[in-house]
Amino acid sequence: KRGTTGGWIKTSGFYVYDVFIFTMLKSKTFVKKTRAGGVMKIVREHYLRDDIWCGSEACRECKQESTVLQAEACIESNLCPYPHYVVPDTNVVLHQIDVLEDPVIRNVIILQTVLQEVRHRSAPVYKRLKDMIQAKEKLVYTFTNEHHRETYIEREQGESANDRNDRAIRVAVKWYSQHLKADGLKVVLLTDDQGNKEKAEESIDEYVKNLTANPELVDRLALSKDDKAEIISSKVLFPEHLPLSKIQSGIKSGTFLQGTFKASRDNYLEATVFVQGEGEESTEVLIQGLQNLNRAVHQDVVAVQLLPRNQWVLPSSVVLQDDGAAKDDDVDGDEEEKAVISAAEAAGKPTGKIVGIIKRNWRPFCGMLNVSQIKESTRHLFTPADRRIPRIRIETRQASTLVGQRIMVAIDGWPKNSRYPNGHFVRSLGSAGEKGTEEAVLLLEHDVPHQAFSQNVLSFLPKMPWGITPEDMIKRQDLRHLTVCSVDPPGCTDIDDALHCRELENGNLEVGVHIADVSHFIRPGNALDKEAANRGTTVYLCGKRIDMVPELLSSNLCSLRSNVERLAFSCIWEMNHNAEILKTQFTKSVINSKASLTYAEAQMRIDDTNKKDDITESLRGLNKLAKILKRKRIENGALTLSSLEVRFHIDSETHDPIDLQTKELMETNSMVEEFMLLANISVAQKIYDEFPDCALLRKHPAPPPSNYDILLKAAKSKNVEIHTDSAKALADSLDVAKVDGFSYFNTLLRILATRCMMQAVYFCSGMDSDFHHYGLASPIYTHFTSPIRRYADIIVHRLLAVAIGADITYPDLMDKHKQSALCNNLNYRHKMSQYAQRASVAFHTQLFFKSRGILNEEGFVLFVRKNAIIVLIPKFGLEGTVFFDSKDKAGPSLVFDEEGPTLKVEQTTFHIFDKVKVTISLDDSNIQHQKIRMALTEPVIPGVSVAAPDVEPQAKKPKVDR
Amino acid sequence: MATVKVSEAEKVYILHGIRDDLRVDGRSCEDYRHMEVETDVVSNTDGSARVSLGHTAVLVGVKAEIGKPRPLVPDEGYLEFFVDCSANATPEFEGRGGEELGIELSNTLYRVFNNKNSVDLKGLCISAGEHCWVLYVDVLLLQCDGNLYDAISVAIKAALFNTKIPRVHMSSDDEGGKEVELSDDPFDCVRLSVENVPCIVTLCKVGHRHVVDATLQEKACSVASLIIAVTHRGTVTCVKKVGGGSLDPESIFEMTEAGKRVGKALHAPLMKLLQQEESLGKKREKVGFLG
Repeated sequence: KRGTTGGWIKTSGFYVYDVFIFTMLKSKTFVKKTRAGGVMKIVREHYLRDDIWCGSEACRECKQESTVLQAEACIESNLCPYPHYVVPDTNVVLHQIDVLEDPVIRNVIILQTVLQEVRHRSAPVYKRLKDMIQAKEKLVYTFTNEHHRETYIEREQGESANDRNDRAIRVAVKWYSQHLKADGLKVVLLTDDQGNKEKAEESIDEYVKNLTANPELVDRLALSKDDKAEIISSKVLFPEHLPLSKIQSGIKSGTFLQGTFKASRDNYLEATVFVQGEGEESTEVLIQGLQNLNRAVHQDVVAVQLLPRNQWVLPSSVVLQDDGAAKDDDVDGDEEEKAVISAAEAAGKPTGKIVGIIKRNWRPFCGMLNVSQIKESTRHLFTPADRRIPRIRIETRQASTLVGQRIMVAIDGWPKNSRYPNGHFVRSLGSAGEKGTEEAVLLLEHDVPHQAFSQNVLSFLPKMPWGITPEDMIKRQDLRHLTVCSVDPPGCTDIDDALHCRELENGNLEVGVHIADVSHFIRPGNALDKEAANRGTTVYLCGKRIDMVPELLSSNLCSLRSNVERLAFSCIWEMNHNAEILKTQFTKSVINSKASLTYAEAQMRIDDTNKKDDITESLRGLNKLAKILKRKRIENGALTLSSLEVRFHIDSETHDPIDLQTKELMETNSMVEEFMLLANISVAQKIYDEFPDCALLRKHPAPPPSNYDILLKAAKSKNVEIHTDSAKALADSLDVAKVDGFSYFNTLLRILATRCMMQAVYFCSGMDSDFHHYGLASPIYTHFTSPIRRYADIIVHRLLAVAIGADITYPDLMDKHKQSALCNNLNYRHKMSQYAQRASVAFHTQLFFKSRGILNEEGFVLFVRKNAIIVLIPKFGLEGTVFFDSKDKAGPSLVFDEEGPTLKVEQTTFHIFDKVKVTISLDDSNIQHQKIRMALTEPVIPGVSVAAPDVEPQAKKPKVDR
Repeated sequence: MATVKVSEAEKVYILHGIRDDLRVDGRSCEDYRHMEVETDVVSNTDGSARVSLGHTAVLVGVKAEIGKPRPLVPDEGYLEFFVDCSANATPEFEGRGGEELGIELSNTLYRVFNNKNSVDLKGLCISAGEHCWVLYVDVLLLQCDGNLYDAISVAIKAALFNTKIPRVHMSSDDEGGKEVELSDDPFDCVRLSVENVPCIVTLCKVGHRHVVDATLQEKACSVASLIIAVTHRGTVTCVKKVGGGSLDPESIFEMTEAGKRVGKALHAPLMKLLQQEESLGKKREKVGFLG
């Protein structure tokens, strides 16, 4: 009736006729629940086409330009000896991604249906799948079956969404097999689904087991349902988890609390759930006992129910490790419960039990295999390196080869009647104890991104040879004439700060802090910037550095080396001789450092009265001002805390530690530090004034008074009074705390005080109101001075550059929510890098003691626990635990007094700060957790202490002198 | 309302024709013009129908949404009507021109359809006092060629017949809070019973007689008409007089009787047609608006 327009041809629906492509419009309809509780019908247009090709090299029908799948798709298999392509279904991808990722498996077709389902169900697996598709050598082809005219199907009445997708997969596979029949290729559908299997080809189990060339792949198979049924015994060990809907309503009504589960390092039967409250308040709920822990794994998001107040307990001070042979599921429950109940005491912290898991946070864990005592058994327990992760039961046929290796294992599930979670082998990292392996382990365990920078990231680096262009000079001040120098630890290649000081004509002093202008090279939003933001910080391990930015920047273009022109961001003050700031100026600049000194070199120049050159004069001026600044800061109540830092002398060839000494601090260390603090504070103030809502600052909250309990008790035992009302009071009382004849006492107190402190954190000024930095006693603080190794400093540079009109802004910089999210990442990375650093030191300490044999050293009791004392050896900055009870034999009588705290072992009482003598040796009975074992030699307690080794410590293997 | 100007001579011609039961287009007084009905024409509604009657064309869409029951009848759902007089139909409707007519039409539709005798309102209740289905009936006038009421009522009945409401059930938790749970099968839906849904028959008094389904010219010759809502059994559920002229009681009675007769005759083929169309299912070739 109405004239139809050009290409529209009416049949069912509307067809559009194109030159090559025949497109058909379908509509997809589904009903969705809206957030307001309503119901909405949604209709989407869906176009079908017939120009979707099969991706096979062998195909002669499809008009494709390039192909992914090989014509000779051969994989050695007993099950499918013919050339074939593999099509995994959704569940196979979700559960067996570890297998699919193996390079052996190639010529894979991923259906769009599968891709979509995976995307809905698991983001991490989806990402891995996408990576797999992108990897050229894997030969993975994505077939958009949902848009193919012959493989699209509509959901039928009475068919569930899953059934429809399964059918879609089968239809696509059928299409493929018919399509490729002429070319002599077959298509194998991998599935674990019974329904699919009846109609289609193979289960992944059988398929993988029949890949003749690759026996190790079998281990990577995640357990399928039938296998799981075999393992678990009939007895239900754990209460059922509540369904998500019940958890959600419970959280809404307040019966349950939602929080992050943090297992205790020391006691596997204890954990805390960190519940983030509204605003500032957040609480910690204590969980004790296997039943109450209810299969939660470290870092899971869980729902907790609080126990009635009369069942609240205190965290036990017992150190409990879950070791020994695999326990029989039936027996151990009661026995372990006892251990908990004995620890329970009246009037404790809020205590609860886990009722459900909101989100699992499982990742592959590093660790080692405990081989089952039964020889033929293929089921073994895996002990993760992280003590907070429970042991995992895995199935492997290559236990004998994996023994002594560090391996990675992923958890598949934790049924309620199994004592341990079930998992599967992912890959091996190498032999335990080897430096490379151990380094890989500690980087993985601390989630430190350590892969080489990708090409994409490197493409944003400046082209070499690089030089300063006239455009660069437009907004920069030329400070090349100034006598600038840098002072750093020896061997430092990423020099991010340099200083100068000169007398002005009016008699005042001009002091400049020059920081590498990293934000000039890293532009917001590009791949390089994103990578740096993700890494957050450079991680320093013993003898190794994992850079935040590529080496070209960190060690060359941004490093303020001597006698080269470098771009800098300068903070220049005019000061009088009392170190009072008269004028502050921020500017982008170009500098030419005259010398890169080490702390020791700088110290020598200052001390050498004969030297009168510009650099030395400049250093003397700086040193003088720094002393005044430091005095002022301490008067304001800044804390000088102490923690022992260790330095290894590393053998240049074997890279083994040959000597170990605690770091010495020189005047020049504190000189540099003083000016960095000053620059940071000045910049913090400036960016906060300019951008009150989105300045990135750093704060250090005052610790809650209860944190000081241990410090106060310890000091009291030596009749010393410590005031903790304010930072100033604390600093003052620490200064006067002295005990005659015990010179190390003050250092020990400071070490203890350090442990009482909170973590300093980055935050966005628009999201918080408390800016105070407790440790530095500064009302405002930020990080500005190390942009090469900290991402926070780059953001601060950008803010400051915008504030002084030297650079342009961008939206994310001014978005306080985005910035807050960035701060969270930076805080996390920062924390992890510290842990990684400590772990690296610990590993090198072990290497060191391995070559030393047994040593007898003097130490001090740092903490007293119920069954152990923790001893600090000042000489090595080493801390270790001396246990008084042991599993196999009856221990000595132990009386623990909470008030002291003291521990009475037989007749001897241990207080904090007691001087003891211990033997130090490497305990490598557990190769995974090689640890330093300490045993008491003095005071002598019969049956407890050991005899001191009579010889002077000597290296087991005589060292070759060079 | 769309009107046409009719000359005196034309009027006389029409009047005389009707007197002799022969209308200008050849129909007798109780005949409808050619009527086309198609359902399920708008995919993003829960039910829809397109009806053309002569050159009059209307489109009705039904959207089901979850709302709160009215306080006086906590165990019933309800219907909402909105009539959009598109300027497509006649230039008079441009801007706010169609508003008045739209309100008049929708007010009548409320009276005819929004009661429990016509539609099973209790069936629309999900949980008494808290949740119920609200059916938003949107009427779009596409072309005006007289007798809007009848065309709209047929379209509404067809659209309600076509309406598929997703099946929901209430889940309650321990705290007494209730939440609507939705079945994840899109085919799992509830159909409305349209057995008692009336159709409107408009009778136009022209001269001494009355006609069904008046054209615009016939309408111009009439001073008053009677709108009668009739169910399939012939029960009159609503009567309304429109137009400026008066009607004597006798002719009202006559017109009502005629309305019943015509209404019953209208329902039977309509239901047959709808069921026939439904039985074709997905295989049916849709005609749509371009057909």
